[in-house]
Amino acid sequence: MARIEFRHIEKRFGDVMVIPDMNIDIPDGEFVALLGPSGCGKSTSLFMLAGVYLPTGGELLFDGHRVNEVEARDRNVGIVFQAYALYPHMTVRENIMFPLRFKKVPPDEARARVLEAAELVQVSELMDRRPSQLSGGQQQRVALARALVKQPQLLLLDEPLSNLDATLRLTMRSEIKSLQRRLGVTTILVTHDQIEATTMADRVICMNKGEIEQIGSPDDLYLRPNTLFVAGFIGSPPINLVDGQAENGHLRAGEGTFDVTGSLPRRVTVGLRAEHMRFGDAGMPGRVRQVEPMGRETLYEVDTDIGTIRVLEAGSTAAHRIDGQVKIAFDRGDTLIFDSDTGRLVPDAHFAANGSA
Amino acid sequence: MVATTLPETSDAQSHWDALAAKARWQNRAKNISLFAFLIAVSVPIIVPYFWLVTLAFSASLGGTDTEVLWASIFILVPALIVLWAWAAIANSRQNAVIGCGVISIATAVIYAILIGDKLHLNGFRFLVDPNFNTQNESIVGAQNNPGFSVATFPSVWRAAGNSLFVAGAQTLIVTMVGSLAGYYISRFKFPLRASMLRSMLVLHAFPTMTLIVPLFVVLWFIGLLDSLWGVMFVLVGIELPFAVFIMKGFFDAVPWEVEMSALADGATRRQAFVKVVLPQVTNGMIAVAVFSFIRGWEEYIFMLTFLIKNSNWTMSLYLFFITEENSLGIDFGLVSAVSVFYVIPSLVLYTVAQKYLLQMSVAGVKG
Repeated sequence: MARIEFRHIEKRFGDVMVIPDMNIDIPDGEFVALLGPSGCGKSTSLFMLAGVYLPTGGELLFDGHRVNEVEARDRNVGIVFQAYALYPHMTVRENIMFPLRFKKVPPDEARARVLEAAELVQVSELMDRRPSQLSGGQQQRVALARALVKQPQLLLLDEPLSNLDATLRLTMRSEIKSLQRRLGVTTILVTHDQIEATTMADRVICMNKGEIEQIGSPDDLYLRPNTLFVAGFIGSPPINLVDGQAENGHLRAGEGTFDVTGSLPRRVTVGLRAEHMRFGDAGMPGRVRQVEPMGRETLYEVDTDIGTIRVLEAGSTAAHRIDGQVKIAFDRGDTLIFDSDTGRLVPDAHFAANGSA
Repeated sequence: MVATTLPETSDAQSHWDALAAKARWQNRAKNISLFAFLIAVSVPIIVPYFWLVTLAFSASLGGTDTEVLWASIFILVPALIVLWAWAAIANSRQNAVIGCGVISIATAVIYAILIGDKLHLNGFRFLVDPNFNTQNESIVGAQNNPGFSVATFPSVWRAAGNSLFVAGAQTLIVTMVGSLAGYYISRFKFPLRASMLRSMLVLHAFPTMTLIVPLFVVLWFIGLLDSLWGVMFVLVGIELPFAVFIMKGFFDAVPWEVEMSALADGATRRQAFVKVVLPQVTNGMIAVAVFSFIRGWEEYIFMLTFLIKNSNWTMSLYLFFITEENSLGIDFGLVSAVSVFYVIPSLVLYTVAQKYLLQMSVAGVKG
């Protein structure tokens, strides 16, 4: 187990700057998710942790010791890849045993540890099969067992659930989470799937274009996004973003004008989460354009004065039909106002009244 | 009126039956024409080999009679057709095996009764008798070809050994170097990587004949003319680019995450290569090895040009000189027997390694 620190880590490939300056502190035993779109530098960070890439600047610390130049095989890091990367010519047992072959573990102890790891992820009945004879979920478990058998000080998960079907993903999600809690191993999950990140991790690091946008609990990122990017990236269905301008203390968006507390920059973007919107007797008038029943909830797209707004309502049966006239209401505390130019949240600005045109 | 009413149920049924019957016949016709085509194109390939084998076991000294050949064809071809038909119509696997066994035994018995006494191993005397050629001379008189005499023939085992050495050593080097180079090109970036790959393919496109004279000079200069090592190195040089290219394709197909896993699991770069990557490309290595072995075993032009002493003769040269001396109506049996002896290793290798060779074309595409 280890505490992991990135101190001013920089990584460039030739002339291409991938990560300009990265600072993270991950306490021992924490489950952290690196979340971001592809190309944001999250996999590069992972490979630097694994020892595949050398950082071009800064310091990478394991338990306070600089490990920049330490080779991959000496770092005692377990990795699970998206495609599992099992050794196809070995049985499950040999796969799990493989890391111990380089550790001078006495044979009896090695066998015991392999069995223990296999039982941990429930693959002890499959020990003599080859990876090609396993289902995706089973391969995933074997890969986990192989990563855990060497008792790593750091567990890296690279999009571990992407190749699984939806049901299995749900199961593995909770299994990995409880396994991590039980073993207490510092774990870093790399993913582009916000649901995976927010459901599994204690803390989420949201990255974009090599920069860290925000570090926080899943709640923080969802309710108090620091930037427009985080607000747009987290949440499903995506947040409603409405462009507007400040006009003598008012906020003007589309045809609507709102009273606002706090000072506003000139150009702003208003973030309104679909699940914070509700239909009411008073509020912004609009016309229903699209209805999408999603089982537990129903998603509406409503054309209003300020643009198309998504509204998520509980209940599977649609209360409104396409082309129906509705009024949309929301609480002033749920509104997020961003500076359009810098993309940052304006923390003290809120709507002065609950939503109405 | 008729057209607008729906047909009766039974009419409709017979209509569908007719369509089904038509489809069945079309299928059958397609299969028959396919088989006919395959047979037609394989005849020109199979007949010469058939003739070769028959002659090796039946030709009499000084004669060119084709009696045994025709008799064999008249026995074996119908037998093959019956075999094929039985295998097609047999209703169970067991029946098919038993039927085929019975037909094969019956054919063998008929063959033995009709032409068994005409078969002999006289053509193969070169395997054991170092003076095999004098037999010819005692019957048909000495050769009127002054360049070659009986004394010039080494033991066939020596020639086979030479061929085995050249082909084997060449295979070993090509497979080893090809694998290492293929791995490096597949995994590492280095200057001129792309142009190197391209030039390797271009190299393979040149007719090797154009290199004969320069190679002769080079070999003479470095003192490897008339040496098995010299020919072997030339063959390595000719075969290597293609082997590298094929092996690169196989290494490309191994996901790099697997290798990275091995590194993270505590393996060194070399251990990862040996324990994780190599086992996944063994099929490619076998394919490359088989091809270079057969290439070395069959090589003729370079052998003829670069090898002079008869103790350096390889099988291809041995066959060439046997043919030179005995083909003019003298001893077809001997020539055919040597050919059969020469072709057997290639045949066995191809048969054993078939499944690997097929994979090579698949993986090679990824190039």
